[in-house]
Amino acid sequence: MGKLIRDILEESVERFSEITAVKWLKKKEVLERSYRDMMENGVAIRKGMLAEGFQGKHISLIGTSSVEWIESYLGIITGNAVAVPLDAGLPEEDLIDLINRSDSEALFLSPKNQGLLLGILSSCPKIRKVWMLQEDALDISEEKVASLADLKAEGQKSAEDGERPAPEDVATIIFTSGTTGKSKGVMLTQSNLAENVISVDYTSDPGTILLSVLPIHHAFCLVMDWLKGFSLGTTICINDSLLHMVRNMGMFKPEVMLMVPMMIETIYKRLASVDASIPKKAVADQVFGGNLKIIFTGGAHLDPYYIDQFAEYGMEVLEGYGMSECSPVISNNTVAVHKAGSIGKPLPNAEVTFENGEILVRGSSVMKGYYKMPEETAETLRDGWLHTGDKGYMDEDGFLFINGRVKNLIILSNGENISPEEIENKLALEPLVGEVIVTGEDNGLTARIYPDQDVVAAKGLEEEAIQSALQAFLDQYNRNQPTYRQITGLVVRKNPFIRSATKKIKRQEALIDEPLPTA
Amino acid sequence: MTQEMEFKMIVAQYCQVKPEEMKEDMRFREDLGFSSLDFMSFLGELEDTFDVELEEEDALKVLTIGEALELMKRLQEEG
Repeated sequence: MGKLIRDILEESVERFSEITAVKWLKKKEVLERSYRDMMENGVAIRKGMLAEGFQGKHISLIGTSSVEWIESYLGIITGNAVAVPLDAGLPEEDLIDLINRSDSEALFLSPKNQGLLLGILSSCPKIRKVWMLQEDALDISEEKVASLADLKAEGQKSAEDGERPAPEDVATIIFTSGTTGKSKGVMLTQSNLAENVISVDYTSDPGTILLSVLPIHHAFCLVMDWLKGFSLGTTICINDSLLHMVRNMGMFKPEVMLMVPMMIETIYKRLASVDASIPKKAVADQVFGGNLKIIFTGGAHLDPYYIDQFAEYGMEVLEGYGMSECSPVISNNTVAVHKAGSIGKPLPNAEVTFENGEILVRGSSVMKGYYKMPEETAETLRDGWLHTGDKGYMDEDGFLFINGRVKNLIILSNGENISPEEIENKLALEPLVGEVIVTGEDNGLTARIYPDQDVVAAKGLEEEAIQSALQAFLDQYNRNQPTYRQITGLVVRKNPFIRSATKKIKRQEALIDEPLPTA
Repeated sequence: MTQEMEFKMIVAQYCQVKPEEMKEDMRFREDLGFSSLDFMSFLGELEDTFDVELEEEDALKVLTIGEALELMKRLQEEG
């Protein structure tokens, strides 16, 4: 008990010093960083932040996976500061809101997202410093902006190092969709993270190749690809774009990967489209690079059909279950102990029980709470038990199964949790939208809209014109959204939604489109 | 096989629509049922098959078969 991520990393550097920790592509060249060099950079960043007065402060990060991103993250959490990873794909207004709500005082920003800089500097009054995640000289002259190279140089010349955090200190705040439409900052302590890394039953030889394809701001990727990977001396290769996932599998030849179900579904389509006369081993070598043996999946439920299909290509798919609030893994199938269709057995540090069918979890990886949201925290954490919002059961062998949701969140097969209200509130701003409900279908989101009849009448719109106008509005909305929040289906309703006695739309009856009974 | 047919054969891997039934105004996500990741993977296959390099930001603006074909032709002409 009481281990820190810093302890785990320092042990890894001692054991795996010369092993490659990270590989990545720059243009078409493969670059790499050893465990020793990575940690030296992390320490320089930690000391640099201390020298600039950011001990104990909240620091946001915006960017996709990169060696600079992860070294900065390690610099933050091995010191006494709190890392706040944000989704670089969010619209600027959402990112500004999250920086402000997390009380971040500094920001690491990817050069690809430099366009956000001026907006953040003018709308986030607490931000005192922005470090661009780049080694090259800056092409901007702003007093508050410096490069990562500047920060490291400052750390390298500083003798003073940050104190070791305490196990109960918050290490990171990860934002997750809330059911009320406002995302919540999950506070995870040093111990929460370290315990999850230690408790997941998976081991591999040092230097095992892992290809990281998930978004790094997600707990599943951050903790299981990166922190767990570092604890084992894994060489983590960065997938530079989802466009090139298959190409990069061929190049890096990973032995293990973490995926969300949507990735497995997409890859399966490619496997299945190959001429059936070609041996499956040859197809697998072509698509996966020849070495892939294990795929861990989580974030959403995977149809067990794919587990059987992938087995035919020599691939073991092991499903797990978790949520950001549990750092994130709660249960998982392991190489030795697994059952298709289940989400595995609970980790040794997780106790599971059920209340009216809902899965409750207690243990050392359960979050401290939601940042500055006492009501939401009290609602989710009751008597030490975390209410997951998922319904499930445990079979006689101790394997956990999920069979529904309690809370109103849409879980897409890419692992993204979508709060329909958050999107509905934005869509409702369009005058032609009278009532709207967003539902999750076929791996995407569908907007079910009842047009505002006053607008329809005033403009004299016919059925086809309404459809076109609403589709044009959705296209416009989609342009500013990350792909997982885009609306890919439109249903124009002929009747208003059914409402409850308290006049709320009955979400569970949103698919019924019939005239309302007259009172 | 024409380039257009080769293109449609790639599209057909990700959906239930046959190449000969595909129309230029069909939308990848809404009409063909592509998931967001299917679409990314499809773009990667286009790059490899037709030896072009797509700018992710531009490519993600493409909505229909016709728009994707047009983008491909433009990139090939630009060489």
